[in-house]
Amino acid sequence: MSSVSHELKDTSVASSKWLDAHYDPVANLYTFSSCIALSDLHGDGENKLVVGDLGTGVCNVKLKVYRGTGVLSESTLLDLPTGLVSFLMDLHEPRTPAIAVASGPFIYVYKNLRPYFKFTLPSLEVNPLEQDVWSQAKEDMIDPMTLKEMLEGLRDKAEIPLSVRSLRFLMLEPQEMENFVLLHKEQPIRRQTVITCIGMLKKNMADEDAVSCLVIGTENGDVYILDPEAFTILYKMSLPSSPTLMDVTGQFDVEFRITVACRNGNIYILRRDSPKPKYCIELSSHPVGLVRMGKNVVVGCTHETLHGYTQKGKKLWTAYLPAPVTAMALMDLPTRGFQAVLVGLANCEVHMYRDKNLISTIKTPDVVTSICFGRYGREDGTLIMTTKGGGLIVKILKRTAVFDDRDSAPGPPIAQSIRLNVPKKTKLYVDQTLRERENAVAMHRAFQMDLSRLRLAAARAYVKALESSLTPMSASLTEPLKMNAVVQGLGPSFKLTLNIQNTASCRPVMNLAISFLYDENLYSMRTAFFKIPLLVPGLNYPIDTFVECLSDKGISDIIKVFVLREGKSAPLLTAHINMPVSEGLALN
Amino acid sequence: MKTDVQLPAATDLKKPRPKKAPELPILERRNWLIHLHYIRKDYETCKAIIKEQLHETQGMCEYAVYVQALIMRLEGKIQQSLELFQSCAILNPKSSDNLKQVARSLFLLGKHKAAIEVYNEAARLNQKDWEISHNLGVCYIYTKDFRSAEEQLNLALQLNKHDLTYMMLGKIHLLQGDTEKAIDVYKSAVEYVSIHNLTFKHTCFILYTMLLGKYQKAFEHLGNALTYDPNNFKAILAAGSMMQTHGDYDVAMNKYRVAAYSVPESPPLWNNIGMCFFGKKKYVAAISCLKRANYLSPFDWKILYNLGLVHLTMQQYASAFHFLSAAINLRPRMSELYMLLAVALTNLDDADNARRSYEQAVQLDESNLLVNLNFAVFLYNQGDKKAALLQFQEMERKVNTQVDSNINTEFDPELVEMAQKLGAALQAGENLYWSKPGKDSKSSQRSSSSKPSSSQQPLGTNQALGQAMSSAAGYSKSISVHPNAPSIPPEPAADVSSAPSPPTVDPGEPEDEDEVEETAEPAKLKEKKSKPKAVAE
Repeated sequence: MSSVSHELKDTSVASSKWLDAHYDPVANLYTFSSCIALSDLHGDGENKLVVGDLGTGVCNVKLKVYRGTGVLSESTLLDLPTGLVSFLMDLHEPRTPAIAVASGPFIYVYKNLRPYFKFTLPSLEVNPLEQDVWSQAKEDMIDPMTLKEMLEGLRDKAEIPLSVRSLRFLMLEPQEMENFVLLHKEQPIRRQTVITCIGMLKKNMADEDAVSCLVIGTENGDVYILDPEAFTILYKMSLPSSPTLMDVTGQFDVEFRITVACRNGNIYILRRDSPKPKYCIELSSHPVGLVRMGKNVVVGCTHETLHGYTQKGKKLWTAYLPAPVTAMALMDLPTRGFQAVLVGLANCEVHMYRDKNLISTIKTPDVVTSICFGRYGREDGTLIMTTKGGGLIVKILKRTAVFDDRDSAPGPPIAQSIRLNVPKKTKLYVDQTLRERENAVAMHRAFQMDLSRLRLAAARAYVKALESSLTPMSASLTEPLKMNAVVQGLGPSFKLTLNIQNTASCRPVMNLAISFLYDENLYSMRTAFFKIPLLVPGLNYPIDTFVECLSDKGISDIIKVFVLREGKSAPLLTAHINMPVSEGLALN
Repeated sequence: MKTDVQLPAATDLKKPRPKKAPELPILERRNWLIHLHYIRKDYETCKAIIKEQLHETQGMCEYAVYVQALIMRLEGKIQQSLELFQSCAILNPKSSDNLKQVARSLFLLGKHKAAIEVYNEAARLNQKDWEISHNLGVCYIYTKDFRSAEEQLNLALQLNKHDLTYMMLGKIHLLQGDTEKAIDVYKSAVEYVSIHNLTFKHTCFILYTMLLGKYQKAFEHLGNALTYDPNNFKAILAAGSMMQTHGDYDVAMNKYRVAAYSVPESPPLWNNIGMCFFGKKKYVAAISCLKRANYLSPFDWKILYNLGLVHLTMQQYASAFHFLSAAINLRPRMSELYMLLAVALTNLDDADNARRSYEQAVQLDESNLLVNLNFAVFLYNQGDKKAALLQFQEMERKVNTQVDSNINTEFDPELVEMAQKLGAALQAGENLYWSKPGKDSKSSQRSSSSKPSSSQQPLGTNQALGQAMSSAAGYSKSISVHPNAPSIPPEPAADVSSAPSPPTVDPGEPEDEDEVEETAEPAKLKEKKSKPKAVAE
């Protein structure tokens, strides 16, 4: 009781910490935390919400800008956005930030919501052998079939993977090959990769409005740092796996640290002056969210856990979550010196953690897929969430809200006071107990006696069955047979299938016959006796025969099947078939 | 020249502008999206994207196939996932990850030998992978090749000191019965594993100390582990069973309530709760709980054993007989079970079968004094003094070997008392360890106040464990003997056996709590063993 009221109070307090500013359940947004940013796009001191919307996942991919509760602008994107950042690329006045949208192998940079620049990832090294093969094809020195064979040889052995063109070519049907070669042979071969995550890094000043470089991670495990104005590659680092999440801190010209969660389940920490990762954190499950809080890194994992690590990769703590993580974000209120990690969970809750302590819970109407906290409009503490069903939630932190940072280890668990559910015993049980106490010996003897009788009866019945071959398994050593019968049909005619199998290891069985015994008033059979062929060991012989039901009174009977050996009157085996009631009326 | 003219003409017909080749989509372009959905456990969307991607690339997108296989494995379609992983390995033969997954699927299908082969192949591609070495070790455990398993696990430890590897290595040593080495492993685990992984550290430390026989220390650590995670089921069960040993039934029950809330259908838990009630003399509740445990796990002989014991106490001998014979069917080589069955049979007036059961018990027994003593008392009551003397001497021999090898010098006072009385009746037993002056007086003192003394025993040493077993059986024996007494009036044995009958109920109490410990203990250890397995999945 007390625990319930305590919990109720807790949630009511938590909900009162936020003002529900806006909730649009049909905003039709399909996006992730990496594709959301808050930015003062027009330099008017009012932050807009920029969302890279994946649309249906195929089409309708849009870059949407929200202002207040409405959409300010929409522009179509060519491909799905993988990430989106808002950054200051130069020192020109007015200081309006640009939006960089990563999509496929490109970064589209928007300024004032207008396309400004398109950056393309440098193409990867192409296998020289592949290049050779294609140049031969270009000169028409080899036909498409030879080309295919050579490329297949290359694919299986080469250190450098083939380009898309070769892979596509290998997928083609022979008749399509020639056209494909003709179409593509003039183009230079390129091997490209795609961007998987994007971040930004201050160039040389720590100020809020300093110029920032873009940091991008690619599918083949490279991390590039781009110059903010010229979009040239300033620095390149490589990782053992494809990056999925990225956090960047520091300044490019001084010292920086890039924390990258990779697809192989590890987190790598990259630093200035080393093209290879400096530290590695091996997680026990895949990271879903990565947030830096001060000097520590907080990682949410698929195993419903939240881990805290130092920036050198040492584990600090682990918190267990009630449901899988769906989204994570940092909640930073510099004016109040408050930082926490927001974790969206699959049970429609958003938990607020400070270190490993849960300090608040927000209930949401749907599963949250992306979270963003920051300044929206002119309000500093705004929480923006999108849901799985495409909804958009905007909440504003009350200025009076206080989060008490208590340790979440309470006293004894609540369950300790819950009564054990011990099964009750009835009066009858007690009476029986007393009776047993008084008559234990008699009961025991009676039981043993009955048990012996039962065993005897069972043994007798078994022997009798064996002696008269009443079983569907033959007991004789010379004809080890097995039979089962299947009745098909609704009536009045039924199909009777007997499956006979010789279970001997090598000896065939010959000279067998089958006979049926039935009530002739009820059933008729074309042949009630026939011979069966030689039975080869191990094979199943299905033998079909037809039975006609003569009665239309809805009664049924047993048909007995005997397997007989020529010259012997006792059957080898017997099967009793319980005939179903004929459901169709007799035709005549 | 001729062809030159022809070709452009042909292409001109099909494509008006042959020079403009369309941009080919990159095969891996949706990998990030597949991964994002996969880690968010949004498998339906994930499968839709994979299907689309595989359609576009005609099954050539390695990562899509890989995730498809992972999802299938999660859905329990292991065979299909194995086939997909194999096609991944064909698409990219250089990736050890694909081979690792193939091996993992084989492992899950129970094809340990094949898994070992594939893991070895993967190890050739990637020498320094902790996971490969660890999983190879686990596979070797299943194929019972403990030496190779140990080798691989040590290799894994050299690469990366993971908790799991330590647990598996400790388990191997325990399976081989090599306690010394297991202790070493747990010791180094305690040293190396980072301070932050407290639960694991505690588990290791508890195992380590329990193996050393330092139950007191283990208990302290259990307490620490519980403050760190008050809802940890395994820790609660372990701590509760230790509290039961102390006789702290109420505290133990408190702990069990927490456990019962989180895991309401655990057979060992209900077994322990039942024995708690038994300790508190609430026999009906005890039977209810034990029957529930038995319902949840009908083939657990420990629960059947306890049910038999409780029914013996309730003088429901016919029921006790059934539970005990069921337990014997499940565990046919345990002498104590035969002894209890003999006790039940004695009370059911089936002396012939009781005798046969005792004989079986004596034949299987190695060090339990009670078996011989009970048999001796039984024979004496039957009037077979000669055979009784033989059993008594056998017991003496066991006592002496135990004292000589210093395994056990503290004997249960009630056992001593009974032995002395029987010895007097048989005119034997002067040379017994406890009948020597000094010790004798001490033990008799003890037996006079047996209840407090036995609860003051050093709690939960290994010796206490052995003793616990014997004294519990002794308890039931002492019940069993005294109803016999009036039926054989001319025997002086009637004196012997009926004499201890008044105090039996009293000293019985602290003893059967030891019994509780006995049964709770293996249950708990079983829990421990299963833990690393669960994590390894």
